[in-house]
Amino acid sequence: MSDNLARVSFSIEREPVEAPARRGFRLVSAAPNRRARPRIFYALTAVAGMAAIILAQLLLSVGISQGAYEISSLQSSRSELGRTAASVSEDLVRLSSPQSLASNAEGLGMVSNANPVFLRLSDGAVLGAPASASGSQAGAASLVPNALLAGSTPLSALPDDAARTGGTVAITSAPIVPAGLAAPTTR
Amino acid sequence: MSVRNSSARTSSARSNPTNSRSSRQRTVFTILVLFAVIAVFLVRLVDIQVVQADSLTKDSVGNRSVGQVVYGSRGEIIDADGVVLAATVMRYNITMSPVNATPFKRTVDGKTIEISVADAAAEIGAVTGQTGDAILQTIGAALTANAEANFAYIAQKVDVDVLRAVQDLHIPWTYSENSPSRVYPNGAVAGNMLGYLSGEGVPQAGLESGQDACLASTDGSETYEKGADGVRIPGSSVTSTAATDGGDVVTTIDSDLNWFVQQTLAARAQETGAAWATAVVQDAKTGKLLAVADYPSVDPNNVGGTENPDDRGSRAFTQSFEPGSTFKALTAASVLDAGAATLETGIVAPYRYLPANGANINDSHSHPDQNMTMTGVLIDSSNTGMSKFGEMLTDQQRYDYMKAFGVGTPTETGFPREDGGILHPFDEWDNQTNYATMFGQGLTTTALQVASIYQTIANDGVRMPVQLVAGCRQADGTMTNVPDQVGTRVLSEKAANETSDVLEMVYQKSWVHSKWNIPGYRVAAKTGTAQMPDGQGGYSDGYLVSVSGYAPADDPQYVVSVSIADPVKLNTSAAPAPVFQEIMSQVLKKYRAVPSGATAPDLPSTW
Repeated sequence: MSDNLARVSFSIEREPVEAPARRGFRLVSAAPNRRARPRIFYALTAVAGMAAIILAQLLLSVGISQGAYEISSLQSSRSELGRTAASVSEDLVRLSSPQSLASNAEGLGMVSNANPVFLRLSDGAVLGAPASASGSQAGAASLVPNALLAGSTPLSALPDDAARTGGTVAITSAPIVPAGLAAPTTR
Repeated sequence: MSVRNSSARTSSARSNPTNSRSSRQRTVFTILVLFAVIAVFLVRLVDIQVVQADSLTKDSVGNRSVGQVVYGSRGEIIDADGVVLAATVMRYNITMSPVNATPFKRTVDGKTIEISVADAAAEIGAVTGQTGDAILQTIGAALTANAEANFAYIAQKVDVDVLRAVQDLHIPWTYSENSPSRVYPNGAVAGNMLGYLSGEGVPQAGLESGQDACLASTDGSETYEKGADGVRIPGSSVTSTAATDGGDVVTTIDSDLNWFVQQTLAARAQETGAAWATAVVQDAKTGKLLAVADYPSVDPNNVGGTENPDDRGSRAFTQSFEPGSTFKALTAASVLDAGAATLETGIVAPYRYLPANGANINDSHSHPDQNMTMTGVLIDSSNTGMSKFGEMLTDQQRYDYMKAFGVGTPTETGFPREDGGILHPFDEWDNQTNYATMFGQGLTTTALQVASIYQTIANDGVRMPVQLVAGCRQADGTMTNVPDQVGTRVLSEKAANETSDVLEMVYQKSWVHSKWNIPGYRVAAKTGTAQMPDGQGGYSDGYLVSVSGYAPADDPQYVVSVSIADPVKLNTSAAPAPVFQEIMSQVLKKYRAVPSGATAPDLPSTW
């Protein structure tokens, strides 16, 4: 299409100037010069296109690599967090072991009463023979070792300020019961 | 247009011969250069692809492609409530490259300082609990063995806190590797049954060994390509084999109860100077083991802490002994079930009884002839009286009852190396054994088998398979390997209940009553005092004292059997009786077994 336009413009410009007999040769020698402009345009378009593609490719690849680094860093933080979670839940399970619970309960002054007594609500009957707790069985020493608890301090033996940071609620007085329940005789 | 154009160019070239020649020369030159370049590429190609191929491939693998083991997790062992008794955790080995152990530079507060190898070793040692010198010695030893040594362990199986502390030191020649290992969060609680793994992760004993088919996992692998900075190259191929985790073994054990039983048993065993002791708590209606305690026992986290290898397992499963008088309940039940005697049948029990076959039976203490019923015989635990009742049955009848009660065969738990006890066929019994088997000598049982005998009597005469493992829980939640739970009738309901009434009388009238009394509850129990073998075919001075029984006797739910071997400071049933009392009270309280308030039977013991 541009070809047509060029020819038309040529004939308009040149015809009156050049001799009609030499038109063919003039035409050929002039044509490359005239058409140089459109060819550079193509070349530039092509080069620009390639450059654009290369740039896009480059950016894309930079993006993917960036993603790879991000994936890698997220994966490593996930595995670190997983390790932390595993380690913390290990601590929890260890502290929930019977040995740990028993020593903490005894540290708080709790005693086990092995003598069960039941109150039947339907008729108020007391089943079993009530007796006061005779103290913790087998004393405070744990005869069931747990190597995982070595070196751990009973929570009740922690310093006061450490316990307070845990947000304990101070109980100032015993709850008041209007009817006045008989005080239990257990110590 | 194009035709015209090209013809114009051609004519222009032809019109100039000099142009044409130089153009040809240019073409030839270009072709030559092209060929030369191609030839260089070709040579290089062959060189890389063929000549150097092997060495290049070898070099590339380590740099580019990384293979990693993806560890499958060995299954957990959990108790009946889901409390984890054995779990797999990740531990880490700190490793190093001795050949690269050289001073390095570290930037602290903007200043670069050089850290010597000795300083670095001391820093590591402070974290791992070694001395710096010990680590320097490790380096030295590795380099002495191999001057190019590139690998040595600094510390093995450390937890994540130590690993992070070492990593924070940023010492360039230290590395870490994963090392899955096993922990037992409750320590020695049920450690006798759990077993343990060797350092290499091979199961050594107990459930770890017996249930390995359920617990075992398979490791997978993953290979991908990474760049120089260790980041995976995007789009590079990944080949992976998935790891499979092991299943979880669900036991019937109650870990809290097991702790209590172990603690109570150990306290009494130490107090009485016992060689060893066992206690078993069994559900009377289902046959499930709720607690099995051994003294001495093992903490699977610290197997080396238990010096005697025999103390690292469970004697309740693997050690059989002559049960003694607790076995009289079996003989009494057999006689009642066969209809050979009733609760009113009277016999005369002398101090010494010389049956026609030539045996010689005597009681533990001297006494005049006594007119006794079966109730009286069991209350006094009279051997001669029991012999008079036992001989009402043929040897074969008694043997068949024993077999039906499970004597002589290992129980159904599937515990590794479980002992079945010794029960010789009745036609091999000699004269003395004939009578001795009536009161629990001349044959051996495990603590588990004794508990099972009492479970049968408690459960209206139906013996349930003894169950330790409820099954193998797969990843999708399905249970496999669920053991058979069909009971077998050994006694008629009437005979079982009559035996139970007799045992309740024993509980009430026994000389240890004050030691095993549980106020408010009806209990059935029997003591046993058996001589222990000296290992040379005779008896030693030691006794195995035991108490077996169940409660509440009007609706039996729990069986407790306590055995204490050779308590040198108190070698009577008074040693195990308080343990029985404490354990049974705890069981009744823990499981909210409400006393019925019904009155206990009152059977005549004399006539």
